Amino acid sequence: MSVYFPQKKLPYLLVLPQLIITAIFFLWPAGQAVLQAFYREDAFGLSQQFVGLENFVDLFSDPLYYKSMLVTMVFSFSVAFLGIGVALWLAVMADRVIRGKMVYQTLLVWPYAVAPALAGVLWWILFDPNIGPIALFLDRIGLHWNHFLNGDQAMILVVISATWKQISYNFLFFLAGLQAIPRSLIEAAAIDGASSFRRFWDIVFPLLSPTTFFLLVVNLVYAFFDTFGVIDTTTQGGPDGSTNTLVYKVFKDGFIGLDSGGSAAQSIVLMAIVGLMTVIQFRFIERKVQY
Amino acid sequence: MTDLVLKNIGKTYPNGYQAIPSIDLVIEEGEFIVLVGPSGCGKSTLLRMVAGLETITQGDLLIKGNRVNDKEPADRDIAMVFQNYALYPHMTVRANMEYGLKNRGVPKEERQAKVTDVANMLGLDELLDRRPGQLSGGQRQRVAMGRAMVRDPKVFLFDEPLSNLDAKLRVQMRVEIRQLQRKLATTTLYVTHDQVEAMTLADRLVVLNKGKAEQIGTPMELYDKPATTFVAEFIGSPSMNLFDAMMTEEGIVLSDKTRLPMSHAHRGSVIWGIRPEHLQQSDEANADFSLQVQAVESLGAETLIHGLLEDGSGQPKPMVIRLAGPHLPEIGSYMWLIAPAKHWHLFDAVTQQRL
Ligand SMILES: Nc1ncnc2c1ncn2[C@@H]1O[C@H](COP(=O)(O)OP(=O)(O)OP(=O)(O)O)[C@@H](O)[C@H]1O
Ligand SMILES: [Mg+2]
Repeated sequence: MSVYFPQKKLPYLLVLPQLIITAIFFLWPAGQAVLQAFYREDAFGLSQQFVGLENFVDLFSDPLYYKSMLVTMVFSFSVAFLGIGVALWLAVMADRVIRGKMVYQTLLVWPYAVAPALAGVLWWILFDPNIGPIALFLDRIGLHWNHFLNGDQAMILVVISATWKQISYNFLFFLAGLQAIPRSLIEAAAIDGASSFRRFWDIVFPLLSPTTFFLLVVNLVYAFFDTFGVIDTTTQGGPDGSTNTLVYKVFKDGFIGLDSGGSAAQSIVLMAIVGLMTVIQFRFIERKVQY
Repeated sequence: MTDLVLKNIGKTYPNGYQAIPSIDLVIEEGEFIVLVGPSGCGKSTLLRMVAGLETITQGDLLIKGNRVNDKEPADRDIAMVFQNYALYPHMTVRANMEYGLKNRGVPKEERQAKVTDVANMLGLDELLDRRPGQLSGGQRQRVAMGRAMVRDPKVFLFDEPLSNLDAKLRVQMRVEIRQLQRKLATTTLYVTHDQVEAMTLADRLVVLNKGKAEQIGTPMELYDKPATTFVAEFIGSPSMNLFDAMMTEEGIVLSDKTRLPMSHAHRGSVIWGIRPEHLQQSDEANADFSLQVQAVESLGAETLIHGLLEDGSGQPKPMVIRLAGPHLPEIGSYMWLIAPAKHWHLFDAVTQQRL
């Protein structure tokens, strides 16, 4: 269907604000980043010098960058798998609840309304080695908790903080997915002699696979790019870079390390990754995951 | 040997709605029982209780003499064909059919032999490696039946298995289901709201109305001697013509104009009925009554004539006549009719029971 506008200019006028916003807040900074990646700035930001691909060469010969990549992988996949696993389990439980279904479901959706930075602060307090109730409890059962010193514990903390919010989101999708599975399929499987465990793994889980795959990509993208707030409020990338993800490193190198060229080069690599993931999402998921 | 016994079976849903007050039914081995009734009368509820998908809130269910009320569906040795077929969409036809055997730990060779056997019988050989999404409605229906058959269960349960098919395929599958059931001699409980399907398939019919069994019997018993006005109207197409009347000394009085001589002990209000196919055309001298023609439906082999007849309620009531061959009476004209006494049905006006 097409709408007829008597004035030729009106449609362009209507999309103009959108175009301006995109240009100012996305295209212009992106262009700046691309340019910056080919320059080197002195520490005071007074002079710039064109250096070609040198920033990229430096980047890919820096072992810290590879460490950050590994950290990002571990972090992202942990967040995605933990978030998906817990949400699926909760959704299956919620789907079985008959009484008070609404209350239960509403409660599970709440965390999503909490700002990511706030979520970070919340977990930071809960796990604070000196005053955090969870940290104190862990200490009491003989597990010494200090994420300021222990890199693995710092990773666990950021993973939990980042996952927490995502569970609500995943939960909603899984619940909708579960409710879309015809009851008669489950009943047929019950008559076919499948235990509830087998019914889940043979019937429900495969039928949820489009949802699961979609959520996997969404969660990976989230963990990659959208967890700056969580990391900044809990560990600031430490200790010793053990939670320094690629996105956090861009910020750290650019604004704290004042290496705008290197930071810009990293941004470009990140942009390439975003592009790649988008392609995967559209090409791979929409075609492969169906039955 | 009795195969399936429903003793005082009742169902009250958790929300307090009593879908089935109480039903008694004894089914012999190899019998084909059809549950028929209008929408919402509790057919599916009853079937699902037998399957174990719905808890039984009252009475006992016996399969081969064992009480199975509290047994899981898997342990009842039944197989069910669902209205939407409920095929596993992510599995091939073969996997769909094998799934029940697999869960029961049947070895692989035996499984494959059985699947091949059944696929042969149903003409599914070519389709074994397809997914349900790649099949037509009729083929899916066949696969659903195949899945039920490979397990060789004690009882087949069907819940309106043909209602998603087009008219022609429905007739074809109906015949096929009947033939298969004869061949396998497996006790079958079949739900439908289509009375033609019910009549043609059943050894015995159970007519359900608001959760109560109005009548249980062979199709011809129900056709010849409907126990209630509900059964009378439900079985047969077009429905039986029913009229309010009075039973007096001189017989049945529909109106001042229409009196049908009969000697019967009952006195008072009755409902008089006759099937459309039992009315005959005649001349004025021999006729029982006349009917003004309102509409004519010519179906080729037969003709349905709709008219109005005044009855005890004082209002003209519609009456349908079914005549063999073509007839073309003029609309508005009068037809003289005979209603042979041996085809009359009489019901108590209050209890609606057959007199
Ligand atoms: N889970 C339930 N809770 C409460 N009432 C129910 C439930 N399921 C069914 N009913 C009611 O029980 C009655 C019988 O339902 P049932 O599904 O057995 O009807 P049916 O004869 O199979 O009808 P149809 O021909 O439309 O399939 C209906 O009035 C229905 O509203
Ligand atoms: Mg039903």
